[in-house]
Amino acid sequence: MKPYSTLMENPVTTSDIKAFMYPSPLAGIDEAYDSEGGIRPHWRYLLHSLQTLGQDAIEERQRKTRRILRDDGATYKIYDEPDANQSWQLNPIPLLIDSEEWNQIETSLVERAELFNLLLQDIYGERTLVRQGVIPPELLFSHHGFLRPCHQIKLPGDHQLILHAADLARAPDGTMRVMADRTQAPSGAGYALENRTVMNRVFPSLFRDSHVHRLSLFFSRLRQRLHELNPNGGIARIVVLTPGIYNEAYFEHAYLANYLGFQLVQGSDLSVRNGYVWMKALDGLKRVDVILRRVDDVYCDPVELRGDSRLGVPGLLEVARMGHVAIANPLGSSVLENPALLRYLPAISQALLGRDLQMPSVKTWWCGNSDDLEYVCANLKDLLIKPTYRRPGLYEVYGADLDDKKLQAWQNRIRKNPLQFVAQEYVAGAQTPTWHQGQIQPRASVLRTFAVASESSYSVMPGGLTRVNLDADKKIISNQRGSISKDTWVLASEPEKQISLLNIDAQSSNESTNALPSRVVENLFWMGRYAERAESALRLLRTVFIQLNKTEKLPDPVCRTLLSAITHVTATYPGFTSLQNTLFKNPEPEMISIILDHQRLGSVANNLIAMINAAEQVKEQFSSDTQRVINDIGDQLEQLKQTLEPNTLSAPEEALAPLITTLLAFAGLIHESMTRGNGWHFMEMGRRLERALQIVNTLRSLLVTGFEEIEQETLIESNLLCGEALITYRRRYQNGMRIEQGLEMIMLNAKNPRSLIYQLTQLEEHFSNLTNNQDEFSAEQKLLLEATTALRLSDIKLLAKTTNGIRSDLDQLLSRLQYLITTATKAIGQHYFDHTDGPQLLVKNTEWEDQL
Amino acid sequence: MKYRILHSTRYQYALSVSNCYNLAYVLPRATERQRIDKLDIKVSPMATTRTIRTDYFGNQFLQFSIEKDHTVLDVSITSEIYIKDATTDPNLDFGNPCTYVKYLLQHSKDWETLCAREFMLDSPMVQAHSDLAEYAAPSFSDDRPFLSAVMELTQRIFADFTYDPTFSDVATPLAEVLKHKRGVCQDFAHFAIGCLRSLGFPARYVSGYLETLPPPGQKKLVGADATHAWFAVYSPGEGWYEFDPTNNKITGEQHITTAWGRDYSDVTPLKGVIFGGGHSPQLFVSVDVRRIAEDFVQTQTQTQSQSQSQIQR
Repeated sequence: MKPYSTLMENPVTTSDIKAFMYPSPLAGIDEAYDSEGGIRPHWRYLLHSLQTLGQDAIEERQRKTRRILRDDGATYKIYDEPDANQSWQLNPIPLLIDSEEWNQIETSLVERAELFNLLLQDIYGERTLVRQGVIPPELLFSHHGFLRPCHQIKLPGDHQLILHAADLARAPDGTMRVMADRTQAPSGAGYALENRTVMNRVFPSLFRDSHVHRLSLFFSRLRQRLHELNPNGGIARIVVLTPGIYNEAYFEHAYLANYLGFQLVQGSDLSVRNGYVWMKALDGLKRVDVILRRVDDVYCDPVELRGDSRLGVPGLLEVARMGHVAIANPLGSSVLENPALLRYLPAISQALLGRDLQMPSVKTWWCGNSDDLEYVCANLKDLLIKPTYRRPGLYEVYGADLDDKKLQAWQNRIRKNPLQFVAQEYVAGAQTPTWHQGQIQPRASVLRTFAVASESSYSVMPGGLTRVNLDADKKIISNQRGSISKDTWVLASEPEKQISLLNIDAQSSNESTNALPSRVVENLFWMGRYAERAESALRLLRTVFIQLNKTEKLPDPVCRTLLSAITHVTATYPGFTSLQNTLFKNPEPEMISIILDHQRLGSVANNLIAMINAAEQVKEQFSSDTQRVINDIGDQLEQLKQTLEPNTLSAPEEALAPLITTLLAFAGLIHESMTRGNGWHFMEMGRRLERALQIVNTLRSLLVTGFEEIEQETLIESNLLCGEALITYRRRYQNGMRIEQGLEMIMLNAKNPRSLIYQLTQLEEHFSNLTNNQDEFSAEQKLLLEATTALRLSDIKLLAKTTNGIRSDLDQLLSRLQYLITTATKAIGQHYFDHTDGPQLLVKNTEWEDQL
Repeated sequence: MKYRILHSTRYQYALSVSNCYNLAYVLPRATERQRIDKLDIKVSPMATTRTIRTDYFGNQFLQFSIEKDHTVLDVSITSEIYIKDATTDPNLDFGNPCTYVKYLLQHSKDWETLCAREFMLDSPMVQAHSDLAEYAAPSFSDDRPFLSAVMELTQRIFADFTYDPTFSDVATPLAEVLKHKRGVCQDFAHFAIGCLRSLGFPARYVSGYLETLPPPGQKKLVGADATHAWFAVYSPGEGWYEFDPTNNKITGEQHITTAWGRDYSDVTPLKGVIFGGGHSPQLFVSVDVRRIAEDFVQTQTQTQSQSQSQIQR
């Protein structure tokens, strides 16, 4: 491949590339072809490079792209298709924009953001636009995004609108038009960054030689502006407020929080106290100064906004009113997303800026205007119909996609509620080279751009999020309808100077702003517990499979003891504890059910799914290595469904091995790569507590009842096998399996990382390292100290002794330990995690109406 | 006329509430006719934050939060207000006819009219409906003076509807109210507003108190009064006029205003969010409206001539 500079000297011509490109389109506008059918200069290098790479190499890189996105946990949920593939999709061919055109676009976008900022100030301030008749009062007053409680609330600084995003499409005349503005909580900037990161890895040299403008400065400016918004002085604690894992763009929330170095929180992690917003951390409340909001404004405060919201923080609006927290974008900013404003935008621009906007909006009609209404009804089949207020399940519709009956239904719907609808001229957007089915194909594209308030103006991300439909017949481009994304390369005429971000990032956070919300810690705690439960169960199941499949048939009582141990350890009662003989004659179906039946409480699948869900809740805490291992766990669980068919098993224990290995890899990664903060301690504590319980349960099931020597040996061997201690044991004691030595190994051997005493001493260690550790022992510490002491004071000989076929001393000790550890686990939950009742409304029946 | 008003609200919870965040629309509003001379606010247990704020509609509301355990919440407001004597009843038979009011609403560019158009739109609890338009239409013939038509609507609601506190709660939809023709002041106000908006006129919800008087010879009971609600309509160039369909009259000096908005949801007397508290908190409201001594004897005789049955809430 030739670098850009040599390319200038020996330019690639259209004919060099034509073989690999689709032919020049006969009509419409194309990003890569000019009107004479020549390839535009700024596309030549990329297209030529792709041609040089060839089909197979591009396909390979497309696969690599998918793999990286999956490893990064990059997802996007489509609400109407909950079962669809949720992976974020990135096409390998970026959209290219040359720097000359970009300069114009950038200037226009800054101007537009300025205008929307003034508009927002006017709407929640003097409302001169209504007063002077620039916009009809109904346009503002009927919009659900106009939040009267937000009247007169102000952010510090020059700008009320912190983030502005716009959807651009190229009109047939070649100029860009704005189709829509996004001001609620504009999404996509994080996805654009992820796209860039992936492209950078998949096409490193192509990317380097193309001189693409970097995105990082935009994010530094965002971080800086959020710090500047801090109303409380000192180093700001900034959080990203997400609705949680069920939001379509949850990945982006986690990704941005990580990239910007902010804490990701949900509404329930925050609390209003004494006129400020606080985050519930493990060691108490931490004041929050700035909120980057990704929850729709009406859901942010059940006291003053939607009362039925569970995503908000009761009392938040009043704190904003007092000026004790800054929220970006401010509550109420969704009013600017009303597409009816586009119809009046030229007049608004004249009124507020004193000039016309450089970049026009797509022609828009508002049905609240009677002339517009008649026009729209008469021309519905050529227009795009949009509700003035976006909400899930209500999307824009293109009249051309509707039959007469549906057109009539829409007309009725609009006439019934004209204020709530606009129609827009349909702008297809320019065709752009897109990789599909092994070749380059033309597809219409739209571009979402982002601007952030910076210094006295706005700063625009160079590039943005480009989206195309792979299905060429689909007319509306929207991620919720399965559109896919592209990176957007703004090509610099010369290599970009590296700007040091040090100054801008000087206000970085410190240790004190790094506390985790207790919800996050609790999820990590549970992850540790679920992972260990699944692992213990798998180890035991594997051991039992091995014992059952031995060439010599096991004596019946041993077999029964082993099988009921599975039921005891996994708590999948009644299972093998019922006395059905058929179950013992053919135990495989029950064992497989305990592995695979995800709806069965206590099953391996049930625990693993719970673990993966907990991981999703805190995905911002994990590196992509860890994310990959978590993905693998899910994949291997899926695979087990195929490999574990009842009655076809030759060596079922083999089938379980990969999953056990992956769980070990997960434990290892956590151990080797997670910072030793509270999150790590609690995850490990969850694991240790659970392992201690499983050891106790296994011992109680297998060794409390006394057996004849040979049978006893099988059970001790099984127990050691579960605890991975068999080899060590054999090396140390070469005289067969003896109960005393077995018990010593499993219970008291401090060097065995799967012994009971090891778990208890590790727990002690974790407690002493917690950041809020106090001198006086907490309830859980006392309980665990008692467990440790009881264990240490025990006498192996007495424990091993049987009376009437029962080791009653062992049973008593184990039963006591089980009680102490279980109670300690509960005490930890009560001590550290927030389980207060959720909020309830005082007056229940004045909830907002959904009128559409 | 001078009044002393005591408005107390008590919530009793089954379980302890750890913290609560509230908004209360319980303070009298200063208007052209109404002046607030004294205001005393008591919140118990003691509020952690407490502020009087002015809302979007110009009403004063009380914001407060309590951040300690409690099982009883008490909010009591004592105010002394002065209300200007009602000038003679407006002559409803002159003034702009309905068609002209509609014309002005569409074409007037004055600020007050543009703002009043907000009250022609649907609001959370009042949506325009053809049934409402149909009910109201006979009173609003094109050339009839608008305010006289509104008075007739007020009279018809008073005559057609039965006051019945057992029938409705705040969430009863207007369609139900129309079907059964029963409800309380709030429903009648919402119903009238719905009728007016369905015909294309601006109407707003007014909440407040009404002075009631005991039957002759009996002593007035403390707390016998209640919060009350009525509505106001706007006629461009003529301003806002208030009507009370529960009592079949234009509001007078016995109507004391606390707040107005598009409907009840904008001015709910006390709303908020509590943490804890268990199920079904119990609400006790008591209102006492009392003339302050010097005016008492003189005015009592005037109002006693009204039929007691009219003063229903």
